[in-house]
Amino acid sequence: MNELYLTLLLLVVLLAFLSSGLWVAFSLLAVGWVAMALFTDAPVGQILATTLWGSSNSWALASLPLFIWMGEILFRSKMSEDLFTGLSPWLNKLPGRLLHVNILGCGLFAAVSGSSAATAMTVGKLTIPELAKRNYPEQMAIGTLAGSATLGLLIPPSIILIVYGVATEQSIARLFIAGVLPGILLLTLMAGFVIIWSLFHAQQIPAETEQYNFTEKLKRSQRLIPVFLLIIGVIGSIYAGIASPTDSAAVGVVLALVIAWSSGSLSKEHFIAGLMGATKTSCMIAFILVGSAFLTMSMGFTGIPKLIAEWIGTLQLSTYTLLTALALFFIILGCFLDGISVVVLTTSVLMPVVTQAGIDILWFGIFLVILVEMAQITPPVGFNLFVLQALTGRNIWIITKAALPFFMVMLLALLLIVIFPSIVTFLPNQM
Amino acid sequence: ETWNMPTPYPDTNFHTININDFAKEIAAKTNNQLDIKVHSAGSLFKHPEISKAVRSGQVPIGEFFMSLANNEMPVFGLDALPFLATNYDEAKKLWDAQKPVAEALLDQQGMMLLYSVAWPPQGLYTKKEIKTVDDLKGLKFRSYNATLEKFASAVGAAPTQVEAPDIAQAFSTGRVEAMITSPSTGVDSKAWDFLDYYTDIQAWIPKNIVVVNKSAFRKLDKATQEAILAAAASAEQRGWELSKAENTKQVQVLKDNGIKVISPSPELMSSLKAVGATMLEDWKKTTGTDGEKILKAYQ
Amino acid sequence: MRAFLDRLYRLSGGLAALFIVAITLLVFAQVLLNLVDRLAKLFTGTALGLTIPSYSDFTGFFLAAASFLALAYTLQAGEHIRINLITSRLPARLQTLFEISSVAIALALTLYMSGYMFLMVKEAWQYHDMSSGVIAMPLWIPQSSLVLGLAVLALALFDNLVLLIQGKPARYTRTDNDPLAQRGGE
Ligand code: NA
Ligand code: NA
Repeated sequence: MNELYLTLLLLVVLLAFLSSGLWVAFSLLAVGWVAMALFTDAPVGQILATTLWGSSNSWALASLPLFIWMGEILFRSKMSEDLFTGLSPWLNKLPGRLLHVNILGCGLFAAVSGSSAATAMTVGKLTIPELAKRNYPEQMAIGTLAGSATLGLLIPPSIILIVYGVATEQSIARLFIAGVLPGILLLTLMAGFVIIWSLFHAQQIPAETEQYNFTEKLKRSQRLIPVFLLIIGVIGSIYAGIASPTDSAAVGVVLALVIAWSSGSLSKEHFIAGLMGATKTSCMIAFILVGSAFLTMSMGFTGIPKLIAEWIGTLQLSTYTLLTALALFFIILGCFLDGISVVVLTTSVLMPVVTQAGIDILWFGIFLVILVEMAQITPPVGFNLFVLQALTGRNIWIITKAALPFFMVMLLALLLIVIFPSIVTFLPNQM
Repeated sequence: ETWNMPTPYPDTNFHTININDFAKEIAAKTNNQLDIKVHSAGSLFKHPEISKAVRSGQVPIGEFFMSLANNEMPVFGLDALPFLATNYDEAKKLWDAQKPVAEALLDQQGMMLLYSVAWPPQGLYTKKEIKTVDDLKGLKFRSYNATLEKFASAVGAAPTQVEAPDIAQAFSTGRVEAMITSPSTGVDSKAWDFLDYYTDIQAWIPKNIVVVNKSAFRKLDKATQEAILAAAASAEQRGWELSKAENTKQVQVLKDNGIKVISPSPELMSSLKAVGATMLEDWKKTTGTDGEKILKAYQ
Repeated sequence: MRAFLDRLYRLSGGLAALFIVAITLLVFAQVLLNLVDRLAKLFTGTALGLTIPSYSDFTGFFLAAASFLALAYTLQAGEHIRINLITSRLPARLQTLFEISSVAIALALTLYMSGYMFLMVKEAWQYHDMSSGVIAMPLWIPQSSLVLGLAVLALALFDNLVLLIQGKPARYTRTDNDPLAQRGGE
């Protein structure tokens, strides 16, 4: 049971580093170093250098800064405004009305962006003030955005699915396709929740003021054309056989630049601000990834993951018990770590157990991503919570409370894909 | 003592199966004094890093694909040269000629060669049937190194770069139309999902090598050293037999899944071999005396 | 000195941004060539084989350069993620103490990484390590960007450590007007 104490010790050290305010990437590197220096006789420094290089020079990961940059460009263009104007006339009859703009907007933006923070920022920047102006209940405006923005991770393209695909040697294209139906399922469930909530709280939803006839609706919908062009361009380049899913991110950047330029919103200042923003955000993520890679490497040398995997293996858990245990484990981990770290940290540890239990690795990727989406809105570390904090100026506990129902909706979606795995596997099986 | 051993391929691959047996044999021969922990599928070090990790002693032992080092030491790329050695007997003969030079080069980098195992012969995967070399003209051909790029251009195909995790997607969308690889890799990537023909051209027989860090090896006592060398010798023998069996088995799996396995026409083979001969001349220029020495021993 | 340091971090960050632009251009150029090839195939029946040799290798090298060269710049912008939930509730003096210890640990780790990364580059240079793709690129060249990025980060951390010890606020706690920047802090 030496290894159990060792694991607990390392966990305590990690929590101590994290809560002392040491940066997440450095905390991961430090714990990796402690584990290796104390419990192995491997040459730590050299291995660290090899890991820094090996994990940072990756063609597959290169789409990460590009998708982030694309989001930054769109955020500074008129596209998000177009999105709201184009969608709002169609939603007047639906219970919850303009709250659905959050959900639909996030769903659409998720199809062109790989990250949930970019989705929350871009959509929220426009909808939050607009919904407040129209007296929509703040708690629902925040909640719908917090929840549905996490779809940026599930609906392709998705940074986290690329990370998972690289870590588990799964086809990224198949993972992307596998995310489509669960993404639509989540969108439907969230919209359903808004409808039901609105039926019970009808007095809180402001009455419609503007009326549009059909021609007006169509005319307004023209403003959605750039959004659709972008989606068709990015996804189309893959299926026309001219770009890999990784390459398609470059297509996204160029199209976003063209759209921003043609709408007259591409100034030199915007271009530089967008590029530097993307440089910082992708550096931050890449550094955490490198830290995780080293911690993973260090775990490989200590042999702990194999022991835990063997231990879980000897428990002979049934598939459902195993999945429940894993879900709990990821929810707890997701409270403290960002989604990408969670995936990188745990896949190598858990893949043998998951494979041994006869669970489809492709399906598990989607299962994992939904859990990671949930982690985006759990405190103390939740990317979407931070973004919303910045957008609304409300404190993190108010935002967490607003997001809680959507956390439960995601839990329901998770349950549904466990009961009906074909929601995930149907589309990739058609390839 | 425990030795961590990084390897590039998954547990189900015959190379990894052989390595696991190698580790077991060493444990048995040394009464568990030396425990080799195999980290498969690049889970410890990624493939391009493995030889460097062994060289600098980050791990004492490792396995890698020999021709991966072609850009650094062209001698290591000889077994990936098209149509030089196209059956197991020739491959064995080529290895006997290559071995002393490879050992000397590894020695300069502080490594010692333990053994080498061949992959099954590489065949041509396409969507359409290939009857003559003209059928390859204008086909997008997967090439991931300079040798393959030259080969593609020489047969009139269009070289295309596709990364390994992306192969299925690239074939389905038409970004690539032909590749040369082993039946094992074809089965692993479920080639029948996106391809129809396997032409058994036996283009080349590449090898993996297992190397050990010299100073780590020297630190062991005499008995353990001998146990390792004995286990390596039997792993090499077992590995080549496994490889032959693997070839027969995986070609059958391809057939069972609806891939049409074709024996190449004499016409196709003579054109391909002519290309191979030209490429060999080019190769000689890059390696100088070392290359000539090997070829003299081989031919 | 202050101006020089700030300019150095910005320069390093700007260089990183250029590498991201380079990735975009490189990958997009390859996509355009694929498009030309696709059209050629459609109209003439044969593809031309237009490729940028080793474009995926270079994409990876550029990404590594972009990620490491931006480290100091990202630090100064307060974008590296940390958890301040607990420390922010402590009395000011304790907070400063934790702040100093965090920066010191980060600095020690960064110096350690820079040193070993330098040794790795030296080894790659001595052994003439090459990339394995179509173009044989000496690996010490792209690897050098990691040493450079880590060195600038070490300087930035040292810079902040000195400020904190002098009782001044660290530079990375500045928040600019970009709301996305809030995400890094807490
Ligand atoms: Na997405
Ligand atoms: Na969280």
